[in-house]
Amino acid sequence: MMEGNMILLLPMLCPMAAGILVLTGKVFRKNRSYLTGLSTGVLVLEAALTVWALASGGSLTVLRLTEQLTISLRVDDISRLFAALTAAVWLLVGIYSVAYMSHEEEEHRFFGYYLMVVGVLMALNFSANLITLYVFYELMTLTSLPLVLHERSREAVRAGLKYLFYSVAGAFLALFGIFFVAGVSADLTFTAGGILSDEALAGKEGLLLVSAFCMIVGFGTKAGMFPLHGWLPTAHPVAPASASAVLSGLITKAGVLAILRVVYYVIGPDRLRGTWVQTVWILLTLVTVFMGSLLAYREPVMKKRLAYSTVSQVSYVLFGLSLLNPVGFVGALIHVVFHSVIKHALFLTAGAIIVTTGWTRVEQMRGLGTVMPKTLTCYTIASLALIGIPPASGFVSKWYLASGALSSGTGVFSWVGPAVLLVSALLTAGYLLPLTITGFFPGHDFKGEEIEKRKLAGKEPSWLMLEPIAVLAAAAFLFGCFPGQLISMVQSIAAAVL
Amino acid sequence: MSLVQNFPFFSIILAMFSGILSSVLSGRKARNLSLAMIGITTLLSGATLAFCLRTGESYTYMMGHFPAPWGNEIRAGVLEGLTAVMFGVVMFLAVLGGLDHTAEDVEEKKLNLFYIMIDLMLSSLLALVYTNDLFTAYVFVEINTIAGCGLIMIRQKGRSMSAAIRYMIMSQIGSGLFLIGLSLLYDVTGHLLMSPAKESVEILAAAGDYRIPMLVIMAVISVGLAIKSGLYPFHYWIPDTYGYATPTASAVLSGLVSKGYIFLLVKIFYRVLGYDHVISSQMANVLYAFGVAGMVMGSVHAIQETDTRRMTAYSSVAQIGYIYMGIGLGTPSGMVAALFHIFTHSATKALLFISAVGLYEVSGDKKDFVSLRGAAYRNPLAGIGFAVGSLSMVGFPMLSGFISKLLFATSAQESPHKMLPTLFVLAVSTTLNAIYFLRLVITLYSRRRAEDDPIPEPVNAKSSWKLKLAILCFIGVNLVLGMASQPIVQAISDGLGMFD
Amino acid sequence: MAVINHLLFNIEETAAVILFGVGFTILLLHRNLIKKILGMNIMDTATYLFLASKGYITGRAVPIVVDGGQEVSAYINPVPSGLVLTGIVVSVSTTALMLSLTIRLYERYHSLDLDEILILAKEEEQS
Repeated sequence: MMEGNMILLLPMLCPMAAGILVLTGKVFRKNRSYLTGLSTGVLVLEAALTVWALASGGSLTVLRLTEQLTISLRVDDISRLFAALTAAVWLLVGIYSVAYMSHEEEEHRFFGYYLMVVGVLMALNFSANLITLYVFYELMTLTSLPLVLHERSREAVRAGLKYLFYSVAGAFLALFGIFFVAGVSADLTFTAGGILSDEALAGKEGLLLVSAFCMIVGFGTKAGMFPLHGWLPTAHPVAPASASAVLSGLITKAGVLAILRVVYYVIGPDRLRGTWVQTVWILLTLVTVFMGSLLAYREPVMKKRLAYSTVSQVSYVLFGLSLLNPVGFVGALIHVVFHSVIKHALFLTAGAIIVTTGWTRVEQMRGLGTVMPKTLTCYTIASLALIGIPPASGFVSKWYLASGALSSGTGVFSWVGPAVLLVSALLTAGYLLPLTITGFFPGHDFKGEEIEKRKLAGKEPSWLMLEPIAVLAAAAFLFGCFPGQLISMVQSIAAAVL
Repeated sequence: MSLVQNFPFFSIILAMFSGILSSVLSGRKARNLSLAMIGITTLLSGATLAFCLRTGESYTYMMGHFPAPWGNEIRAGVLEGLTAVMFGVVMFLAVLGGLDHTAEDVEEKKLNLFYIMIDLMLSSLLALVYTNDLFTAYVFVEINTIAGCGLIMIRQKGRSMSAAIRYMIMSQIGSGLFLIGLSLLYDVTGHLLMSPAKESVEILAAAGDYRIPMLVIMAVISVGLAIKSGLYPFHYWIPDTYGYATPTASAVLSGLVSKGYIFLLVKIFYRVLGYDHVISSQMANVLYAFGVAGMVMGSVHAIQETDTRRMTAYSSVAQIGYIYMGIGLGTPSGMVAALFHIFTHSATKALLFISAVGLYEVSGDKKDFVSLRGAAYRNPLAGIGFAVGSLSMVGFPMLSGFISKLLFATSAQESPHKMLPTLFVLAVSTTLNAIYFLRLVITLYSRRRAEDDPIPEPVNAKSSWKLKLAILCFIGVNLVLGMASQPIVQAISDGLGMFD
Repeated sequence: MAVINHLLFNIEETAAVILFGVGFTILLLHRNLIKKILGMNIMDTATYLFLASKGYITGRAVPIVVDGGQEVSAYINPVPSGLVLTGIVVSVSTTALMLSLTIRLYERYHSLDLDEILILAKEEEQS
């Protein structure tokens, strides 16, 4: 019953099977080295399998739900970009977790679900039509929920519930739109430029816009877009740092991927350009960008601050997508990559600080430079990249976003957009750099009593944790210096869809 | 006539005679007989279904020696066969899953009575599915009611007695209306067999005679059966009856009994009154309105419940609302969606009731949220079963509930006036469903708190293999309905085509 | 006037419908269980009256065939009588079931008032 390239199943099934094995096998509960060994092994294998699947390409129909609806996988440029990013980052965070999770209980549960989520994410990246996307989108919510619930404390349960309800509400909002699209189009396979024909839509244009808006807002929940962003600052901080890193860096991108597929591959950008949907969408993203930065700026707890920062930064991406022009699209997609890399570096740093010192609030972290200078340096590089200081990576993407906005012809937004981005960049500097400044230059009145008493000076995290942070920070910097390859790839996608 | 064509009659009579025979058997033997009988009738129904699928048409089966306009008939087609198979499977698994609890809840010397009720219940359900005669339908409706009442009151604990009398009163109101409706119909048309009655109805409609009496008949029959199937706002008896009966009874009552009445109503609409007349007389719109109200209000009630079993029962009110909404949409695809949802709901709700039992037994037989905290760790399979059932009710993809919702939503787009309200209510109701079901699932998977009361022994009561098997099979049925829905939907619409 | 004449002409049917309404209302609204059961019986009996009166055709004979029988048009319709008989059996059995349930409830709660019983049952469960 399956037709097509079976290799596409491997990156999805292999980690899922391993995850179930880890969750059920008693030996992994008792023996930590088996657990970590298997997990890292599977993640390395996963990276290899992903490369293999991407190289072999093609498509695969897994299952037919009904005549019209199939579960099928396919490789195209978008899935290449997202899958490669996912595999690489997941491996790095996995290595970090081996060291980080030794401080937590019930590691097997973390690793089990960690592995399952990557399988689901891969399937999401490879999905060839709207139904497949929706199926794995829901599955992703379910499998990533235990990562949020990991502590099983009252706060964690509350955060998990909030995460679940927002996700489910968003998904069903999107489902409303999917139902509509399924009603007017026989085939839901993603096609660059949209799948809807004018004849089928005749008389239903207004409804199409409503359902498009529902899908954008619904899938935007995962991407933390206003007004359904509330789960993000609650759910990310309670999860273990490596889980919050992937939640922030990659799960939010699944929302972006879904919106991208819906707007550019199902409905078609031409049908939305100049409509109220585009206007409201741009407005929502700009509100989110500004509000996220502002909240991050006022937030004292570091992980929460980073979570608000995610709210703001993912909406940069959505802003780029909402412009519906090639330059903005390029900016959005490369910001997906950059933000993912940077945010992982930042969250992993926060985790390293928690593990080594137990500090969670930014004002506690004065003099951090004497404790972990190497880590803080990596943090600083990543921060500069996020703020957008050339030549680090964030500069490139923001440049494209801003010039995309200026040439988008969206009236007042073509100049309000760049202005908001600029203000938000200033706020970004305002909430990220204080840690660097007070860390390296704590000031004359700083005696460092606590650091002395707990003998923290020079106590870098273990190399297993430091290495991924350093790699990610270096990547954040180097992508900005040599973005050519990435940009040309993304430009070819943009040329196809717009 | 081939042997297979006798099978519908055989299965009804087999179920009935098992019941009679059980009255002189011990509880244990009655139980085994009952299980064997359900298995055999399901096989017989399967053979009937296969026969109808092969020949591609339905057939009528004459009972006794009186030909068509006078005698009594059974009719079997694809839809009847499919429904009978589904009812049989759900009944078998519900009895199997609740076996040990039935033995606990029912006095030893009354155990055979319980299985008599189960046998009669199945026999009446099969008769409701297969019959082609309105008065036979009425008699079996009453048998069904009495058997249902017996199933409720045999567990003589808590509120089951008062629940039973309430059930009885509401059912009597419903069947009284149904009886007067079919008496009026007989008065107007002179027929009790469905096919000749339909012909007379068409003649009357073409001539424009008896408009008001026909409208009254339609209203009285619809309302009567709607009361019996627990459509909002006639749902008051549901939470009590489903909430306090023994698990098998809850699963059977919520999963099957109300569905039998709905199936009968659909059959009457198509085969007697004419679905076109139902639509043109606004009756469909009335059912639609009640259905929509039920979808929302059932969920709202469910959210307010702290007793998980009553919560699950209230969710039935919402799901019955879905089915009536589909019937009321007034399009063939809406009817297909409603019939598919009958299957979805019987499989899913029975799964929920049966797996909930596994969770209660590791929580000191308590049913509130606090006691159930962490229950899924104490009985993993029951936890998975409940989670799968909940997700299916909420409409997660790959499970049966998703296909139902998809069918409802796509069929709604065919009727322009009802599209927006339907989609809107679907969204609202789904979200409400998600709120109470997922809250419970999360509770099941969260850690017990220090201040919680300790769970009374035995904490690690291992559920029997029967319960586990039943849960696994129910999950399987759900997955089959969710992933291989195409042939089933096809069969439903073929079967509906045979109704005319 | 025409309406009243019409109703008077169909006196049995009119009575049946009125009785059905009376029984239905009692069954639905009365709090006393015994009266509810009485109401149920009135409702059922009204239906039987309706059926029986419809089956009877003035001036015709009971359809009991002796001496080879006559033309079909000489007899009344036997089907409604059969239906009434079946209906009576059904109604007797449901009445018996409800009466026995009422006895059990009375033994347990010492009341015949349904609302009171429901409240007592609820209290009993909570305690």
